[in-house]
Amino acid sequence: MASREHADDLLQETWLRIHRVRHTYRPGEPVLPWVYAIARRVRVDGYRRTGRIMMHETAMEVLPERPAQVESGNSLSAFDTLVATLPEGQREVVTMLKMGGLSLDEVARATSSTVGAVKQKAHRAYEKLRKLLEIRPEGGLREEINELP
Amino acid sequence: MNCRDVDRVLIESEKSVTASLPAQAQGHLMSCERCRQLVRALEASGGAEAPSPALLLQLERSLAEDLQPVRPLAPQRYFLAAFAAIYVLIVAFGVYRMGAFAFSVMSPLQAIVTLGALAASAGVLTSSLVQQMVPGSRHRIRPHYVPAAVMISLMSVMAGIFQFQHEQNFWRQGWSCLRAGAPFGLLAALPFWLLLRRGAILAPRIAGAATGLLAGLVGTSALEIHCPILDAWHILIWHLGVALLGAVVGFAAGFAGEMAARNAQSAHH
Repeated sequence: MASREHADDLLQETWLRIHRVRHTYRPGEPVLPWVYAIARRVRVDGYRRTGRIMMHETAMEVLPERPAQVESGNSLSAFDTLVATLPEGQREVVTMLKMGGLSLDEVARATSSTVGAVKQKAHRAYEKLRKLLEIRPEGGLREEINELP
Repeated sequence: MNCRDVDRVLIESEKSVTASLPAQAQGHLMSCERCRQLVRALEASGGAEAPSPALLLQLERSLAEDLQPVRPLAPQRYFLAAFAAIYVLIVAFGVYRMGAFAFSVMSPLQAIVTLGALAASAGVLTSSLVQQMVPGSRHRIRPHYVPAAVMISLMSVMAGIFQFQHEQNFWRQGWSCLRAGAPFGLLAALPFWLLLRRGAILAPRIAGAATGLLAGLVGTSALEIHCPILDAWHILIWHLGVALLGAVVGFAAGFAGEMAARNAQSAHH
């Protein structure tokens, strides 16, 4: 995510779109995959829009001075840092499964995929995470994770 | 139990990882440093708060209540029936206009397999489209693969059931078939699009390709019943070409729609 403002914009856009397509929610069906599927699309659109805007931006000869880092309180956790190195599809599946607490079926619904494909992505992600945890130097992220309760 | 089995347990377990691991997996963790690290990392992910069941219930109820002012989407079976009715009506109209000369030269097996394959393909595409209209639907086949899978299956069936022959006037006759079939595809595309508009299409390019292919299959079906040329090359290139053309046009239309929506949003921002 580019910035907090960008995230807020996407959140607002997600709720707007949910409101616009609320007639497509079928009572009795799980609500989270419905919301996630819409949010996922908004995020993809947001990335593409940002990419296009950045393409049209012109480079400045002198960069403005960077403002002092503000403590935002949303620094990435060890797990986030680790998962951020995974490919997009795998990151999405692991995050939904282990952070969002969605079931395999719900993740499949949210990502317009099948349960088999979700399992495959999760398996590949875990394999990659194992390798990452192995090659991390001591004192780095691996130790940070070990210290967690 | 090996690392792969641990993966399977982790994938199918609930959010809390270690609490739900069976004894065998726990035993493997004792001896495998890599899996132990992975489980610790996944346990560390527990920071994010999942919405409580009560909140989800409240959300579901408020959505269901809020459905009153808008017209809720009709059940899937209505859309399936509507797509099927449009498909059959336009094919029937096409056959009425052009005539059914193919049946007099086809063997019963060829007729059954050809029409069966076309009906099955249309069924798969319709089912996928109806699911795409509702975000978060359960898909048996990933929508991204459906158009390509349908096209490849149809080409395989046609290549298997018809013989490859040397046809005279291949280009002229083929071009006339393409010109005869394409308008029926175009005619079907409009009501299909009107139906799709009722739902919330999240991936317009994929839905566009599937809709275009379905509309193209209307033209292909009409041609399969009308055209007495049984050369496999003719059928693969000119009859199925109508369907392929529909898919390409549908994909392009979806892409254009996506770009237009994004431009409108950019202007709004």
